[in-house]
Parts: sequence; C-alpha cells; structure tokens
Amino acid sequence: MVSEMPYDLRQADTRVKWLVTCLLATFGLAYLFGGWMVALYAGFTPQAVAVTYASPEMSMAMPPGSTMMMEHPMTMEQMGAETPHTVDRDLLIQDTHVHVPMYGVIAAALSLVVLGLDLARRWGYTLITLLFLAPWLDFAGMWLTKFASSRFAVLTVAGGFAMGLAYSIVAGVALWQMWRPAPGGVQ
Amino acid sequence: MKQLLASAVAAALLHISPTVVLVKRPDAVKQLLPGAEQFFAREFHLSDQDAHRLHEDAGDWHPENGVLTFYVGKQTGSEVGTLEFVRVDTPHGPLEVAVSFTPQRTVRGVIVTKVTVETKPWVLEALRAGLTEHYRGLKPTDTPSAAAAIKDHVGELPDYMAHHVDEGVSRALVAYRDFYK
Repeated sequence: MVSEMPYDLRQADTRVKWLVTCLLATFGLAYLFGGWMVALYAGFTPQAVAVTYASPEMSMAMPPGSTMMMEHPMTMEQMGAETPHTVDRDLLIQDTHVHVPMYGVIAAALSLVVLGLDLARRWGYTLITLLFLAPWLDFAGMWLTKFASSRFAVLTVAGGFAMGLAYSIVAGVALWQMWRPAPGGVQ
Repeated sequence: MKQLLASAVAAALLHISPTVVLVKRPDAVKQLLPGAEQFFAREFHLSDQDAHRLHEDAGDWHPENGVLTFYVGKQTGSEVGTLEFVRVDTPHGPLEVAVSFTPQRTVRGVIVTKVTVETKPWVLEALRAGLTEHYRGLKPTDTPSAAAAIKDHVGELPDYMAHHVDEGVSRALVAYRDFYK
C-alpha cells in the first residue's frame, strides 16, 4: 500500500510533519471560530438557518399589482427589537464569491494531507470527496433555501457538520500516523 | 501555484468580518424620535413598477424583500417624526444607518447603527470628524455629500466608508420622497 502513496507522512522529514501539524492547528482554530460565528449569526438548526437565508417573499407568490400600504402599532420594545440576522441575495452573492475560493484552497490543502496518509484508496477517495462536497452542500443549501424552499436549510447544516467531520478525521488520522510512538522505541 | 496563492490571499483579504452593533436600535429610536410615546410601522409592499422606480431613483437599490418600512413616532396623537433603517452592502460587509425626518420633512438626524469588525475603526473615525452633522436639515430632494465635507479631516478608508454612509442616507431620502406622503 505504501508504494501506491504519492508520499508518506509517516516517513516524512520532521519539518514536514511539523508543517502539517501547524497547518492542521491553524485550520482547527479557524474552524472553531467559524463555528462560533455560525452560532452568533445563523445557528446550527435547519430552522435557524432558514430564518437567516429564506426570503420572506417565498411565501408571497408575486409582488402586489399595485403598492400596498399597511400600518400597525408597535411597542418601544418591538421598535427596538433586533431583527434576526438575514442574508439577502446580494450579500449571498458576495459571501459565495469570497468564501468558495477559500474553501477550495482549504479542501485542497487537506486533500494533500490525505494523500500522505496510510489509508486504503477508497478511503482516500471518500475523504477527498467529502472535503470538497461539504462546502458545495453548504452553499447549495443557502441558495436553495433562498430560492426554492426553506426545507433545503438542512443541506447547509449537513454541509457545515460535514466540513467539521472531514477536518476532524484528517487531523486525527494525520496526527496519529505522524506522531505516534514507533513500536519498540523512539524513532 | 502563484495564481493559487494570489486567490488565497485575495479571499483572505476580502473575507467579510462579523457585524458589530454601534448603537442599539432602542437607543437610536430614543435619539432620533425624541419624546415619541407611540410607534407605528408603515410598510409599503412595493409593486413591480414601484420597486423598479425606486431601484432607478435610488441608484441600483431595492429594499430587503421588496418591503419599505417607515417607523412613525407620535406624542399625544401628533407626529414627532419618521425613521428609516437602511442597509448598505459594502465589499467589507453590511452597514446600517438610521435616518429620521421631522414632520417638516427635513432630516432630523442620522445614526450609524451597524458596521463590521473590519469597518468599525474607519466608520468611527468618520463619525469623530462630524460626518453625521452634515446630514441635518437635508430635504428629500437633496443629495447628501457629508463625505466630501469631512474628506480633508480623515484618512482614505474612513472617507471610503463615509461615501457608503452617504449612499445609505441617499436611499433613505429617495424612499421618503417617493413613498412617504
């Protein structure tokens, strides 16, 4: 199996192992704060994601034929209430434009780590696919929630957790294979 | 490889930072609708035609979800003023301004209520230079130019954000002029 590997992190120079460890630690930190930010601005449930991304106009079939004016009283508390953080189409375009390239770079970097792991080929394929599929799911969920149905918010939640899962597997296996004590003594 | 690195750097530089509340909405309401005891939300669900007209008049802008909302403050039945919250999506994340009008249809005041972590210091510098003072008394047909008024007193990025605040105030003026009768 080792001969089929493009390179082997277990046998790599310690400096390479250290580089990969630092990379994984940095991505881990970014993911932790990413999770914190999601908790602050969107939430981890499909319902919370739907509130953030779904367009209220989805419930209104079409704009009215003529402008309709409605007035209703509000309390000071309602006046001051913070509206939930929402992402409209223009902001979603911007978010997609700036996030997707970075997600691609992260997935590529983690895939390079996967190539250096002692794993069966099918597991390599699976992990690499998961690393790239997760952000696709994430953003597909956001767009479909906005323009098709709020039920697609579940895709965004799944994509987010898939990103965390893929990172955790790669980081866990890589750290174990690189730094586990060599059988029979110190290497 | 160079292109890959350039993309990574560009993506990192363009990454939008989280929103920061500069002034909470209740505080903005108290300052901009002083003395108001009753509040009403006047919502305009725009037709395609009116949405298009607003889009043209306000310079490529449409209110979120096609609904324009004015908050009216009253004291013993008399109107104290009207307030709009307008969002501007900048390349560095969203910005929200609150713009209030007197019953005489002039701007009473403008408060920047939301910025992002990244833009906060730039906006604060523009505010310290007196940005929002220059909006007071504007009529709905006026074009705000507070950014130009403070240009010599701030750096490049505060000046850049001041133009976005101008943009938000301009949208509020156009919406008020076209729909709030």
